[in-house]
Amino acid sequence: MSVAMSESITTNEYTDDLRYEVFNREFMPHIDSMYNFAFRLTMDEDDANDLVQDTYLKAFRFISSFEQGTNAKAWLFRILKNSFINDYRKKSKEPSKVDYQEVETTYNSEEASDTTYTVDLRADAVQELIGDEVANALNALPVDFRTVIILCDIEGFTYEEMAKILDIPIGTVRSRLHRARNLLKEKLKSYASSMGYDS
Amino acid sequence: MNASSHTPSVTEEAQKQTMKHSCEHHAECMKIIQSILDDEATEAEKDHFRENMDKCLPCIEAYRLEKCIKESLSLKLVKKPCPQSIMDTILSKVNS
Repeated sequence: MSVAMSESITTNEYTDDLRYEVFNREFMPHIDSMYNFAFRLTMDEDDANDLVQDTYLKAFRFISSFEQGTNAKAWLFRILKNSFINDYRKKSKEPSKVDYQEVETTYNSEEASDTTYTVDLRADAVQELIGDEVANALNALPVDFRTVIILCDIEGFTYEEMAKILDIPIGTVRSRLHRARNLLKEKLKSYASSMGYDS
Repeated sequence: MNASSHTPSVTEEAQKQTMKHSCEHHAECMKIIQSILDDEATEAEKDHFRENMDKCLPCIEAYRLEKCIKESLSLKLVKKPCPQSIMDTILSKVNS
């Protein structure tokens, strides 16, 4: 399994001491972000715990393919995302497999992405929403769309970093984000309506 | 309150008249707004934004909405700390 950020895997010489030092200095400070990412992907505390633990143990095992001075957070997020796809997605409690395919088909057509897409939602209405409502709207998105929003808006990764984490071209990052945000607006709109914020 | 304070000034009137109420390339503008807010805009996109964004009502509203959603996501969502027990397990397995 490859966990390196680049195509060519560079193996670095790490003494045992250096392995522990790099692990503690470069990897451990990101554990809260990693935990939140895991929780937002799996939407289950036990799964998030297992996913974070598996990811950190893999990161330690493959530490020689981490190049010091490069972005450790992006490197870790990439391992976590791959572990999620390989080990957790199958048993994920998310009942949206069919919905997801439908959404992908709809949103992947050029027409859909180029159509002027307006959701009747006002900034003031969004301002009134509390964190739980925003979180629920986010959680209602299919996981691939949820992921790009988490990486960009919550974790602040650049498009280039997201492209590496997700193994997709930057153009796809851009268009997936665009689609994800349109979907999110629809979800937020239904929350705002149900709360009466849009009247 | 003085009724005259509600009367729009000449400059406000002029601004209203030049303000666009529909955008003929809104889909394209939405992509630029996204790039600007994500700090990923090219120089050409920044130029387009600077030149047009104060003249087009749908784009101004779209910018406000996108900005507000982005800020809500980064500021309102609860960030949980990783449970100490998980950190302890990781460190003990790594050190064993």
